[in-house]
Amino acid sequence: MWAFNQAITWLFKIIFFPWEKLHPWWGMIYISLLTGLFMLWVFRLTSNQAGIKEVKQQIKAHLLEIRLFKDNMALTLKAQGRILLCNLKYISYSFKPMLVMILPLLLILIQLNFRFAYQPLAPGERTIVKVKVKPGFDLLQMPISLTSSPGIMVETPPLRIEEGGEIDWRIRAVQEGHHLLKIKINNDQEVEKEIFVAARGARKLSTLSPLRPPSNFIPSLLYPLEKPIPSDLPLQDIEVIYPSGNFHFLGLSLHWLIVYFLLAIAFGFGLKRIVGVEI
Amino acid sequence: MKRRDFLKTAFLSGAIASAGWDPFRAFTNQGRRDTSQKILILGFDGVDPHLLETFIRQGKLPAFAKLWQEGDFKPLGTSIPPQSPVAWSNFITGTDPGGHAIFDFIHRDPQQYLPTFSASKTEEAKRTLNLGNLVLPLSGGEVTLLRQGKAFWQYLEEYDIPATVFKIPSNYPPAPSKQRTISGMGTPDILGTYGIFNFYTTTAAEVQKDIGGGRIHNVYIIGNQIEAKLPGPINSFKKDRPETFVNFKVHIDPVHPVVKISLPGEEFILQEGEWSGWKRVEFPLIPTQSVSGICMFYLKQVRPDFKLYVSPVNIDPANPALPITTPSSYSKELAEKFGPFFTKGLPADTSALDSDILDEKEFLTQDDFILAERNAMFDYELDRFESGVLFYYVSSTDQRQHMFWRLIDKNHPSYEPKLAKEFGSAIEKIYTEVDKILAKALAKIDKNTTLIVMSDHGFCPFRYSFNLNTWLKESGYLSLINEWKQGQEDLFLNVDWHRTKAYAVGLNGLYLNLKGREAEGIVTEREKEALMREIAHKLESYIDPTTGKRPILRAYVTKDVYHGPYTHKAPEIIIGYNHGFRVSWTSPLGGIPKKIVEPNTEKWSGDHCMDPSVIPGILMTNRPIKHSSPHLYDLTASILKTYGIPIPPTMRGKPIF
Repeated sequence: MWAFNQAITWLFKIIFFPWEKLHPWWGMIYISLLTGLFMLWVFRLTSNQAGIKEVKQQIKAHLLEIRLFKDNMALTLKAQGRILLCNLKYISYSFKPMLVMILPLLLILIQLNFRFAYQPLAPGERTIVKVKVKPGFDLLQMPISLTSSPGIMVETPPLRIEEGGEIDWRIRAVQEGHHLLKIKINNDQEVEKEIFVAARGARKLSTLSPLRPPSNFIPSLLYPLEKPIPSDLPLQDIEVIYPSGNFHFLGLSLHWLIVYFLLAIAFGFGLKRIVGVEI
Repeated sequence: MKRRDFLKTAFLSGAIASAGWDPFRAFTNQGRRDTSQKILILGFDGVDPHLLETFIRQGKLPAFAKLWQEGDFKPLGTSIPPQSPVAWSNFITGTDPGGHAIFDFIHRDPQQYLPTFSASKTEEAKRTLNLGNLVLPLSGGEVTLLRQGKAFWQYLEEYDIPATVFKIPSNYPPAPSKQRTISGMGTPDILGTYGIFNFYTTTAAEVQKDIGGGRIHNVYIIGNQIEAKLPGPINSFKKDRPETFVNFKVHIDPVHPVVKISLPGEEFILQEGEWSGWKRVEFPLIPTQSVSGICMFYLKQVRPDFKLYVSPVNIDPANPALPITTPSSYSKELAEKFGPFFTKGLPADTSALDSDILDEKEFLTQDDFILAERNAMFDYELDRFESGVLFYYVSSTDQRQHMFWRLIDKNHPSYEPKLAKEFGSAIEKIYTEVDKILAKALAKIDKNTTLIVMSDHGFCPFRYSFNLNTWLKESGYLSLINEWKQGQEDLFLNVDWHRTKAYAVGLNGLYLNLKGREAEGIVTEREKEALMREIAHKLESYIDPTTGKRPILRAYVTKDVYHGPYTHKAPEIIIGYNHGFRVSWTSPLGGIPKKIVEPNTEKWSGDHCMDPSVIPGILMTNRPIKHSSPHLYDLTASILKTYGIPIPPTMRGKPIF
C-alpha cells in the first residue's frame, strides 16, 4: 500500500511541479482543466455516445410534443412519462463512465485535499498536535513525550483526555520550513510526524498532510503522504491541526471542493464540442 | 436593580435588531484632496498636566520633552462636566454641551425617572412578522448616535479634505461620513452593554459574589471535563426572546495545570496563567442567521479550584453585527490586516479588576494587549498618512489612572504598600508608552504638519464618595416613601416624587422635579430659578464634618454656562467636585445611602468627574499657542482654520494658532 501511495504521490508531484511557486488558484485552475479533459475522455471512451445522442433527441421531441399539444392533457402526461423514461435511460448510459471514473477521481480528490484543503502554519502561529492512543492503554501510565526540530516549539506538557484516548500538545511554529515532530513512547519507541511552516504573505501551493495514519487500509488510502504508523506501536494516529486553505473569491470563502467541481464541470462543458463528446 | 442588570436591560434589547443596519451605507472613499497642510492629533485620554510635567522633568518622557522644547505646552480647558463623552463631544463639534446634547455618561427619562445612556439609542425593527415562535423583522433595526452637532471631519469632508479618525469617543454609531472613522468609547460589546465578562469557577464563595460588569458561572468538573455556556445576545428572532449562547467544553489534564477548550469549530490549549488571544464565537439565532463575536479566554487557575475568565465578547470587526466604522469596509480592512481586535469602546476590563476576578498583573497584561494592538494600528495609519487629518486615540492612559491611582496616593483609602511597590509604576509606564507613540509621530511629521497632543481632562484622586441624593434628602429637597428603607433600593424606587423637588442622576447632573416635564413634577417654572440658585449655593457651602473639607467646589447652573440649542435638555445643575471627592457609586443610578460622604475603598481610585478647574487636560503642539487659556472646542476651530474653512457661528471655539 505504501509503495502504491508513494507512486501516486510522486505522479501528482510531477503534475503540480510547474505550479509549486504560484498561488494555489493557478494549480486549481490547471487541475480542474486536466480533470475536465480526463472526464470527457473517459466519457467518450466508455459511454454509449450514439445512445446518448438519440435519447437527448427523444427528450427534445417529447418537450416539443408537450408544447404543441398542451391542450391535450392525456398526450401531455404521456409525453412527460416518456421524458422520465428517457432520463432514466440517459442516466443508465452515464452510469458506466461514472463507475470507471469513480476510483481515479477518488485518488485525485485525496491528493488534491493535501494541496488545497490546508495552509501551512505561519511563523509564530500556534496549533495542537493530537495523538490518538489505541484502546486498552492507560494514558496516565504511558511515558510519552513530544520533541521537535528547532523550527517548532513545544509549549505545553501533554494534556491527556482519557475519554477518546487522546494526548494533546500545543506547539508554536518558529521557523519556516519542513520540520519533524518526534513522539517518544515508553522511553524506547519513537515515531515522527512531518510539519510544514511557511510565511503567510504570498500563499503558495504546498503539499501537507494533517494526519499520519494507522497501518489500516482505509486510513492509509485516505492519508497517503506519510508512512503509516507501525502497528506494533500503541499509537493510532498523529494529527496536526493546520489552518483551513479555503479559496477567497468576491468576498466569499469557498471550500476547495466547491471550487474544484465548479471549475472542472465548467471546463468539461466548455470543451465538450472541441473534444467531440456528447454528454 | 444592580448596575449590571441596568446596563444589560438598557442595551440588550436592541442589539440584535440593529443587525439589520445597512451594510452598503458607506462603501465610499474619504476626501481625496492633497493638502499641503496636515494635522496629526494624538488624543491620550486623561493625561494629566501635573503628572506629565513631573515625568518630563524627571527625564522619563523624552519625546514630550522635545515637543515642549520645540513647540508649546498648556493646560487644556475641559468640559463641564469633565467626563470623557462630554469632553470629546466638545472637541468633535467645537461647542459645549448646549450644542451637542451630551451632558453626562448617563441621562434620565423624565417620565420614568430612570437613567438612560446618553451616547446612543438602539431600536428594534418597527415592523415584524410573527410565525409561531419566530419573529421576522420586516424593517431594519436602528442604532442612533445621540450626539448632536456636526463633527469636524464632516466639515472637512465638505471641502474634500481627507480625515482618519481612530476610536474617538462619543461617535458610536459613527456619524455618517465618507471619511475613515472607527468608533471608540461608547461602542458596546456583542450584548449591547458597555462590557460583561464571564467567569467560570468551581468556588462556591465566588459564585455568591454580587459584581457589576460580569457574570459568574458555577461549573462542575466531571471526569476531568467541564461543560459550560458562553452567553450571547438576546435572540429577538424568537418571541420568547431567549438568551443565545455558545456551548464549550474544557478538558483538564489529570496532573498538569493545562486544559483544552473546545469551542464549535475551534480548539485551543491553555496552561494556567495563559491568555488565549482572540477567539471567534458564533451565536446562532435562526438557521442562516447568527451573530459573530470575539473574546479572549484566560485560564486563571486549574487546581484546587478551577477559574476561567472570558473577556466581554466584542463585536467581530471582520463581520460586525453593529455599525462601528465608516465606511463599513474599514473594520474589515483592519481585521484583514491585523486579525481580530478590541472593538468595545473601553476595552480594558476594569470591572474584572474591581471585583477581584483579575488581579493587577492580569489586568495590566490585558491592557498591554490593547496597547500593542493600538500601536500596530497607529503604525499602519501613520505610515499612510499623506494628507488631511489623522486623529489617533489611546484609552489606556485613562483606564490605568482610574485603577492604579490608589497605588501612587498614600492618602487614598485603598492604598496598599505591598501592591504599591509592585504596581505603583503602572501609571508612569503608560505615560512612557504614549511617549513612544509620540516619538514615532515626531519622526514622521514634516514642516507642513501640525502636531497636536491633547487629553480631554486630567486626573486626581477619588478618595471620598459624595452621595448627592442623600445630601438632597438631608437638605429637604428629596423625600422617601419609607424612611426605614433608606439605602436598600436603587433607581429611586423609594422616592416620594410628590414631595421631591430635586434629584440627581448621572455622575455630575442634578435635575429639578419640574412640573410639566417630569412625570410627577412639583416645581413650577416660577419657583425654578430661585430653587436652582438656592441648591447651588447650599452645595458649594457644604462642609463634610469628617474631613472638614468642601466636597463641592462649584455647582454650575447650566443655563449660565452652556450655549446652544440643547441647553434646555441639560440638568439644571452640574456639580464640580473638589479635589479628592467624586459622586458615589450608587447616587448616579438613583441610590440613596444613609451617609452623605463615605471613603472610596474601590480599586477605581483615580477620577476626573470633578470640577473642570481641578483637572484640566493637556495641549502640546509643535506650534506656538496664541490662546492664553485654550479649551477643547478651540481645537476644532483651529482645525477648520488651518484649511481655510469658515468657522460656523454655532461653534464656540476660537483658533489657537
